[in-house]
Amino acid sequence: MRRTFLKTAAAGAAMFAAIGLGTAASGQDAAEFYKDNVIKWIVPYDPGGGYDEYSRIVAPYLEKYTGARVDIANMPGSGGMKGAVEIFNSPSDGLTVGIINGSAMVTNQLAEIEGANYKVGDYNYLGRIVADQRVMVASKASGIMTYDDLVANGSPEIVGATGLGGSTYVDAVITGDALEIDQKVVHGFDRSGDIRTAMLRGDVHAMWGSLGSALKGIESGDHTLILHGEKNPTGILEGVPSIYDIAMTMDDGERRVKILESWEALSAVGRPVAAPPGVPEDRLAFLRDAFQKAMNDPEFVAQAKEAKRGAQLCVWRRHGRDRQDGDRA
Amino acid sequence: MTIIEGMTSGFFQSISFSVFPYLFVGSLFGLIIGVIPGLSGHFAMAMAVTFLYTMEPTSGIAFILGAHATVAQGGGLTAILFSTPGTGQNAATLLDGPPMRDKGEAGIAVGAAMASCFLGATFGAIVLALLIPVLREVVLFFGPPEVFVLAFLALTFVAVLGKEDMTRSLIAALLGLLLAMIGVDNVTNTHRFTMGSERLADGLQLVPVILGLFAVAEMIDLWVRGGSLAKGVPQALSAKDTQMQIFKGIGLAFRHWWLVMRCSAIGTGMGLIPGLGSAPASFVAYGHAKQSSPDKESFGTGNVKGVIGPEAANDAVEGGALASTLAFGIPGSSSMAILLSGLFILGLETGPQMMNQNVDIVFVMIFTIIIGNLIGTIVGMFLVNPLSRATSIRASVMVPVLISVIATGAFAGERAIFDIGVAVVFGILGYAMKVLNYSRAALLIGFVLGFAVEKNLYLALLLDGPFFIAQPIAAGLALVTVVFLAWNVWTIYRDRKRVIPND
Repeated sequence: MRRTFLKTAAAGAAMFAAIGLGTAASGQDAAEFYKDNVIKWIVPYDPGGGYDEYSRIVAPYLEKYTGARVDIANMPGSGGMKGAVEIFNSPSDGLTVGIINGSAMVTNQLAEIEGANYKVGDYNYLGRIVADQRVMVASKASGIMTYDDLVANGSPEIVGATGLGGSTYVDAVITGDALEIDQKVVHGFDRSGDIRTAMLRGDVHAMWGSLGSALKGIESGDHTLILHGEKNPTGILEGVPSIYDIAMTMDDGERRVKILESWEALSAVGRPVAAPPGVPEDRLAFLRDAFQKAMNDPEFVAQAKEAKRGAQLCVWRRHGRDRQDGDRA
Repeated sequence: MTIIEGMTSGFFQSISFSVFPYLFVGSLFGLIIGVIPGLSGHFAMAMAVTFLYTMEPTSGIAFILGAHATVAQGGGLTAILFSTPGTGQNAATLLDGPPMRDKGEAGIAVGAAMASCFLGATFGAIVLALLIPVLREVVLFFGPPEVFVLAFLALTFVAVLGKEDMTRSLIAALLGLLLAMIGVDNVTNTHRFTMGSERLADGLQLVPVILGLFAVAEMIDLWVRGGSLAKGVPQALSAKDTQMQIFKGIGLAFRHWWLVMRCSAIGTGMGLIPGLGSAPASFVAYGHAKQSSPDKESFGTGNVKGVIGPEAANDAVEGGALASTLAFGIPGSSSMAILLSGLFILGLETGPQMMNQNVDIVFVMIFTIIIGNLIGTIVGMFLVNPLSRATSIRASVMVPVLISVIATGAFAGERAIFDIGVAVVFGILGYAMKVLNYSRAALLIGFVLGFAVEKNLYLALLLDGPFFIAQPIAAGLALVTVVFLAWNVWTIYRDRKRVIPND
């Protein structure tokens, strides 16, 4: 099982590493096609989450560089799969794009989860948003202040998660398994906000999530950062235990680290912006070019920074990963 | 900044020259979106967010919240005049609004609805203001076990909803619960009742279901029956008569101030509870209005209290829903989530920070709700006249026009042709239910609450085990539910006994 997981994870990671940019040259026809047309941008989650906020910030800049109107359509369900499937099955005229939860979509497809009716490799990618830094936070109400507390308190921790395929779920299950955390994963919450409410009430003790979404709770003192998935932590993550350090202190540490590395490779897939298969080349090139220009617009960069989600979340990385872990595994 | 300072500052900001025009335009926009069937507050806000990028924070807030605040008001207008709920929240208004129109009292119904909306919204906003110091504690009061029991309590209100008999109402409510199960289950990812259809895997959307059940069914009825929408009225009311009626209706809402207060409290309470939504709130308020009224029999045949109750509740919901959103920065409904992303675009932080540092902003929101609804009421009064004339147009002209509006509304939410099909299927079902005397309201409330019941039952079982119902709050609420149901069954039994001797 684990073997298969590693292999498939590697395949998934390699697939995303291959996401490149087409030629920046865009045909005049494509520009004319998009002018005053409407692009539907699908967000596979409810409004208000990170994916939604991000999309809403970038939309006006995409409008600026395509000349089209960008309509955001929220299509939540099945841990983001509903929206991903919707994008996949949209007409390939280049008028439907969307942001997807890359890592969860890869795992779901590999695990052949019911509802994963798409092929990650067949989307046309416009680009992606830098991968989230994944962190685990515990609620103040749980009394857990550090990772050691979590291990030492003797009773299983209740870790909240959204749908079966969502990243909150995948993160909790894989790291919990690799580090043998004594936990009970409760999934079925509508959105990560619901888990946060449940943590405030004390129903749930901890959750996994992106650092960007967790920051607010950490700053207000409701949540404590106890674990993260970075190898070289910076900023707020410094001094917080990393899953890798913990794995190495356990027996059979190498194997654990390998599992975690493939998990990280999946997380690194980040939040790709995708169009359905079969979009004409010239339109695709035009969209990619416009998306890149939007991401590099100084006004956009300034706004993203001000929005406190952290500019790093919105930085466009052209060639993706700098590690080859996935290939070695 | 103290609360008093925040309040004064918030008030003067709301009526200042840099904010008020936005508030006015936003309210007007919301009212129009509300009047159009199928377009909801959710939609109004999502549209409004697009304009935020260049606005100042307070103007932006007044604009989007104003647009959201008046939607239910506009929707009430459509519900009463055209038997078509403008938004999901107005479905309960259909029980007594259209019968009043048929009696030639459209103006009274609209006036009462408008005034109740305004009073309800004001009530909700004031409660929100009063709750500011203890907001966090109040919101955290409700966890999955409590929400599950509350959803169940709301469900028992179907027993008193319609003029139909209880057995039929229960059948309809259970059918509604079953319909809510269609689609990919959120917890196990299992396909349920999808019959292999990709579209059904997404579940049934609320808007086309409501439009089908009520609006399309009404159109079929009108087509079959002929004549015009307003049955008992041979001629359109004159502008002067309508105006007189509106003022009478407003007066009635104020005369029933105690009912308005209670129904507003129901609305605000249900708004505070995350995940219940506003459609159930208006049904529960309707149930309460009927239950507590001495003239129960006249409900469903055009009793003004059946309009006042739900309309007060569906606007009071906003104050409650806003509370949980502001207290933690965690949205209680999808509209609130859009509000959050709007605030985010405006560069404002919600949660405890806003409560401490930006109380004036919170008060701008509160005054926006109140002033927005006042604007809605005043503008709405001018809309009644032209709209109510349309109700006397004969069916062969009116049906095609309304059908195209309804089809557009069904399509608009998800932009899916499939949803027009859903509206048609539910239209036929709704017509059959109307003819066979099954309660469509009961089906709708089952459908709406189905999601909340199932999700919270699952979470409660996982978190607290099979005995979650024994926790103090949950047990207390369960007791209320049982008592309520028992009392209903008893009154029905009693009334039956009383009726039989007369036969």
